[in-house]
Amino acid sequence: MKKNLILMALLFLAILSCEKDDICIEDTTPNLVLRFYDNENQTEVKQITDLTVWAINYDSIYVNESLDSIAAPLDLNQNATTYILVNNLVNDTITFSYDRNDIFVSRSCGYKTTFDNMQIESNTTNWIKNININNTLIDNDTTAHITIFH
Amino acid sequence: MTQRHILLFFISLFYVSIATSQIENDTIKIKEKYGIRIGVDVSKPIHSIFETESKGFEIVSDFRFLKNYYAAVELGVLDKTTNEDYINFTTKGSYFKVGINYNAYENWVGMNNEIYVGLRYGLSFFDQTLNNYTPNVKGTYFIAETLEPNMQFSDLTAHWVEFVFGMKVETFKNLYLGVSISFNNLISTTDPENFKNLYVPGFNRVFLNNTGVGFNYTLSYLIPIIKKNK
Repeated sequence: MKKNLILMALLFLAILSCEKDDICIEDTTPNLVLRFYDNENQTEVKQITDLTVWAINYDSIYVNESLDSIAAPLDLNQNATTYILVNNLVNDTITFSYDRNDIFVSRSCGYKTTFDNMQIESNTTNWIKNININNTLIDNDTTAHITIFH
Repeated sequence: MTQRHILLFFISLFYVSIATSQIENDTIKIKEKYGIRIGVDVSKPIHSIFETESKGFEIVSDFRFLKNYYAAVELGVLDKTTNEDYINFTTKGSYFKVGINYNAYENWVGMNNEIYVGLRYGLSFFDQTLNNYTPNVKGTYFIAETLEPNMQFSDLTAHWVEFVFGMKVETFKNLYLGVSISFNNLISTTDPENFKNLYVPGFNRVFLNNTGVGFNYTLSYLIPIIKKNK
């Protein structure tokens, strides 16, 4: 009887020790984070009062919003993504180019794409005065990768 | 008179002792079979019929070396494709397990059944092929295309320990049906670059904390070599 109890306890422990790994909880493909700063006072965050954003040929991700930073998804099937940023009805276009790397995360998450060698391929300067790349590697979306001065 | 009685008493004692010793000599000897038992895991070929993505075969064998102890070996091959939400991969390889079983079941006369606990050391050599994957991106703004790298990672190894709990029942003379469950713990594995061994032949699915579970349904035949008195 005692032997059985020990066995049952061992079985119970063994079953308990199996963790659930069916649900993806890790970070996956990051977004590109852009932050808006004042061109006159370059340490000061400057909000945009009426911002509309979309990637060319896609739907808007922000419509008439008042924001100081945005998270923009990058096209993970191409090596470039073009965004149109509208600040109070003035359009500017930025084309980002990058390399893609697929990094293994876990069973349930599979692979995530990270972006490296981030470059501004081209951009217009109707309301955007200057663009600064803070980090050429985009592997998380917790910090701003791009600073836009206006 | 008393002397005669005392003498008779001792003589009778002597006879009684002889009589009891004769009874002992008459007892039937219980013979227990010791030998090599060889069999197959019947669940794996059945799996292969219903699941086209899994093909496996396993030979099991054990040898009784002490009254309650058996040396056990399992040999197997496996070819299995696993389909997850974002990845699809094929594991192909062979494995071997060695260890002991302790029979905790007290048989009645003439029975040869087992309820046992056991320990195993497992070793596997295998390849993984990443058939396809879809980069995981939250949201539906840019939808990732599925990529088919068909990348093969060769010469991978893994070794582990197993805690086994099972039973064997003699159904016909020398023919045994067995069922067992094993709890596996990975010691180490050579992971492929930018991928992981999520399935290991013999170990089965590798859970997050490097544990695994296995089930065996065996049909085996005992080749008796010697018969020992119980």
